[in-house]
Amino acid sequence: MTNGAILLLMTACFLGFGYMGVPVAFALMAGVLAACALTPISMQSMIGQMFHGIDSEILLAVPFFLLVGELMTSADVTNRMIKLAQTMVGHLRGGLAQVVTLFSMFFAGISGSSTADVAVLTRTVAPEMTREGYDRAFTAALIACASTMANLIPPSIMAVVYGATGNVSIGGLFLAGIAPGIVIGIGLMIYSHFFGPVGLRKPRATLCEFADAVRASTLPLMIPVIIMGGILTGWFTPTEAGMVASVYILLVLVPLLAPGHIPNLPRDFVFTGLLYSIPLALVAAASAFGWMLA
Amino acid sequence: MMLCGVCIAGFTSSVFLDVVTRTIGLPVLWLQLATTGFFAWGVFIGMAVATRRIDHLNLVEITKRIRGSKRTCIEVFNRTIMLLVALTMLVFGVQNFMNDLGSFRAPSLIPLATYTASVPVAGALIVMFCVEQLVNGLINGFEGPEDADDFVGIVR
Repeated sequence: MTNGAILLLMTACFLGFGYMGVPVAFALMAGVLAACALTPISMQSMIGQMFHGIDSEILLAVPFFLLVGELMTSADVTNRMIKLAQTMVGHLRGGLAQVVTLFSMFFAGISGSSTADVAVLTRTVAPEMTREGYDRAFTAALIACASTMANLIPPSIMAVVYGATGNVSIGGLFLAGIAPGIVIGIGLMIYSHFFGPVGLRKPRATLCEFADAVRASTLPLMIPVIIMGGILTGWFTPTEAGMVASVYILLVLVPLLAPGHIPNLPRDFVFTGLLYSIPLALVAAASAFGWMLA
Repeated sequence: MMLCGVCIAGFTSSVFLDVVTRTIGLPVLWLQLATTGFFAWGVFIGMAVATRRIDHLNLVEITKRIRGSKRTCIEVFNRTIMLLVALTMLVFGVQNFMNDLGSFRAPSLIPLATYTASVPVAGALIVMFCVEQLVNGLINGFEGPEDADDFVGIVR
């Protein structure tokens, strides 16, 4: 069998099984194993390649950033950032749409996960937008678009995975993502202002209200500073930055801002433990797939 | 799921201790090995748990919109593919494990097999969960509460 035919078979297996509803990680592995059956390459080496695909210290940053997002969300610390966004842009035309975009920019700088961003916004701001008469389709589209900023603004999990698999500087990728992420945010705010629903016009927040909101969200907003500051000054690696951010939340934010959440911390760990394994199982399967292609 | 939580708590602690011991000038080298061990085990155990909870990422959710015998056929086919992949992970993972008993990771010379054992263990668990889902599905049907479409209200 020629190399082209094997490549075609692998792609057909992946897409065919994938569209039948087989989970992506298994569809990828099925393609690899089908190709193994037709070549002298041993299946044993391919299964070994799955392990080597995730045996990378850089990938450890992924669960830490997911843990940060999960802890922030479940401890309700994110509400403080939403209030800050409201005092900053809530009075503009399409106020809540502007809040969604600005909050996404803040939260992207903390969790790096677009899924976590969507989870927070659909639970907090989306019901409020429905109550204020925003079209639900517009709300869904805006949240989906705004959450993509988490893939650009550091600490982006996508950047970590790309850096780990492509052997590219993660600090460099983080720096490169800042400007495009902010430009997308500004673009969404401009679109919402001119073409989105008007929403309820609210009075501009007073300086006192703004100062209160800033004070309340200072501790959560220290996280992007810790992460990027630590990485750019060379104090720690992206993995260690994620760990420092997690420990900061566990030892400072939760006890100070949400002490009632402490008994629920084990549940957050269990949930994050499951959450991080799903994309990394994909990385493991994709690593074997890529190795076979090469 | 508890094991997933233990793994993430384990490697958070080990990375934390690694940074602290390094900063105070008393680095403990085996902490890095513990970290990668917890991480690898967490990924593969989590892969098995996600199989049981049907939480894996899919390209499409086509089966959720199908009912009856057509659904049963597709679900059985999908589970069979997963079962075959899991069996391969189990059989060839055990072979890798046996080979890795003779390989060691510097500096603590821990057998590499302690890490690579996570693959066949995950394979065995996935086999069990796939068989369980196949049996349950064939007896009670594959339809479940997870089929509910969360986005119906928005689309309408």
